[in-house]
Amino acid sequence: MSDIGPEMPEDDALAAEHALGVLTARERAAAELRMAREPDFAAKVEAWRERLAPLAEGVAPVAAPAGLWPRIVRSLPANDNQVGVLRRMKFWRGATMGSLSLAVASLAMVAVLATRPPQVISPVPAPMMNARLMTNGGQPLFLAAYDPERKSVLVASLVPPGTDPNHSHELWLIPADGKPRSLGLVEPGASKSMPISDEMAAMATEGASMAVTVEPAGGSLLDGPSGPVAAVGKLARI
Amino acid sequence: MPAISAHDPLAELLPRIASGDRDALQQLYEASSAKLFGVCLRILSDREESEDVLQEVYLTIWRRADRFDAGRASVMTWISTIARNRAIDRLRARGPLAYADQIDEMEIEDGAPRAEALLEASQDSAALNQCLSELDERTAGVIRTAFYEGVTYEALAKRLDTPLGTVKSWIRRGLLKLKGCLER
Repeated sequence: MSDIGPEMPEDDALAAEHALGVLTARERAAAELRMAREPDFAAKVEAWRERLAPLAEGVAPVAAPAGLWPRIVRSLPANDNQVGVLRRMKFWRGATMGSLSLAVASLAMVAVLATRPPQVISPVPAPMMNARLMTNGGQPLFLAAYDPERKSVLVASLVPPGTDPNHSHELWLIPADGKPRSLGLVEPGASKSMPISDEMAAMATEGASMAVTVEPAGGSLLDGPSGPVAAVGKLARI
Repeated sequence: MPAISAHDPLAELLPRIASGDRDALQQLYEASSAKLFGVCLRILSDREESEDVLQEVYLTIWRRADRFDAGRASVMTWISTIARNRAIDRLRARGPLAYADQIDEMEIEDGAPRAEALLEASQDSAALNQCLSELDERTAGVIRTAFYEGVTYEALAKRLDTPLGTVKSWIRRGLLKLKGCLER
């Protein structure tokens, strides 16, 4: 190459490459994790997505098949938007003890629970449930399943092995009370089974949230999460 | 940054979707699914996989509608980004040789947008196309191909029969010039 021009700073180049879509699966996952951890880097990627977005206008529309909308409707979970969970996670990252806002949130939750029909205890085994934990960009990074009979959570990390060795990924269960409970650490690329206590098992109900945060190596030193949320999902019946 | 249009007819749907309004999601689907299906098909060249991805995209929109920030992007930009990302993830999941079966079918973009696309192009789009046209043809073509087909550096290098480092350097320099041009 003869036209030696100016070089982009490495961060800018990586952000641009991620937005353009030329990175490998491993590099993409690493970039998504970095976006969760570093708002400045996330802003760079977003700015590049915005710059390149008009190119999508050049793609010819193709009518989606008629059967697809009914299929989507069938797959929609009950309204389970995640804003509440993220707010609660942020709250717990800053606070170690209850506060007025938590009390308010709990009261709101009690009100929600009170309107539900009472749970009938039956001898029929509870159903298996799973959760897909996604980034803000909608990329799944972790898959989790809860087996009520064995009282264990199976989790698989879709993050390529060896990614970001200086941090740990910690899995949390966030039941109706909004307080995240640690289920343990998940190594990039690994899948494992995590036995959980009876107390936690009672909290692993349909609609409970699960999240993974990026923590210092070895996990959060606080009672709750201390690092940014990498991915969030909800338990649903399989 | 390009100014966001003051009136985005789809923007009012997002808060409704966030609150669980399925009719609002259906309206968004009707207004956008053909566009997003086109984006997915372009990247995956496979109808069945594109349908799966499109389903995931609207499920993601349903779950993430509350994250949409009308001050930062138009709805179409936001959901097109989700569609591209999901399609690229699916493409990567095919494995490192995913590009192999596409080499014969697809050519590197010639750099010229379709005439009808130009007619309906927005101001942002006109600015971007203008800036792309200021790059050398080869660089503009490679950037377009990377965007539209979601292929890796490695795949581009293979297709162009050019060393990976060279392709990377073309794209990085091209993007830097593009940024400078768009900021003028």
